[in-house]
Amino acid sequence: MKLKTWVSLALLLAIGIVLQIIEPQLPLPVLGVKLGLANIVGILAMRRYGYREMLTVNLLRVLLASLLRGTIFGTGFWLSLSGVLLSTLMVIAASRLTKLSTIGLCILSSAAHCLGQILAICVIWSSIYLIGYLPVMWLLSVPTGMLTGYLSDQVLNRLPKEA
Amino acid sequence: MKKNQLFKLMNKSDIILVAVLVVLAAILYAVMYFGIGTAESGGTKVAVVTYKQQEVLRIDMTVDGTYTVTATLGEVTIEVKDGAVRVEKETSPYHLCSIQGWVSHSNTPIICLPNDLVVVIENGGSGSEDVIIG
Repeated sequence: MKLKTWVSLALLLAIGIVLQIIEPQLPLPVLGVKLGLANIVGILAMRRYGYREMLTVNLLRVLLASLLRGTIFGTGFWLSLSGVLLSTLMVIAASRLTKLSTIGLCILSSAAHCLGQILAICVIWSSIYLIGYLPVMWLLSVPTGMLTGYLSDQVLNRLPKEA
Repeated sequence: MKKNQLFKLMNKSDIILVAVLVVLAAILYAVMYFGIGTAESGGTKVAVVTYKQQEVLRIDMTVDGTYTVTATLGEVTIEVKDGAVRVEKETSPYHLCSIQGWVSHSNTPIICLPNDLVVVIENGGSGSEDVIIG
């Protein structure tokens, strides 16, 4: 891998960590819902560099952000990790197998993230009641996915082409 | 203008994905709503409080009262009134479970993630043989 790629990925990772840390502070009309802004970074890494880079950036992002916030290895960390793993794998599979646009990929990513989190909490608490939140989360993942997808598209268009 | 731009960016498979998501959400909602805890009335309702997957309290919901449980971030006050239960007071960053308010149906759990606390309503259940006779 070229040095320039390494540095760009490190920058993306840094942006992702910052987004992930400041995101819960943003006031939103619906409580407990996040926009998933940090996901933009993963999509950028995939579109510009590749699938493996996306996985690396996303996993390191969750790991380092929770390390910096001091929540590492807590319940929230495992939820975050399983959400990000499932969503990244789904996005990789979808972008290979289907013709989803960036917006579609972001919606899928958001929905898969919710699913991963819910599955993780079901395993941790050995209870299936939280699946009841999934319909609401999936419906909300459509507008948030559209927003992050649109933002990713805009950033991709404005970034200079990789030499 | 901007709206058109957004829809131009979405293609056919995106629309299909959104449709699939909405349908799945609807099916799941229907299953959750009708599948679990259909008995809205009848039988003794019991509010079961679990802390870190361990049952700490079993409250008869026909009797009004206030109960206190010690959880991860401090004391959690649970109130039962008129066959409904709520978390009255708790320590957490967003206070989601006290904002949720009164719950009287067994398909709606009260979950306080920061406190590792879950309140679920059960219909009858173990230890209430009176239900079978009555």
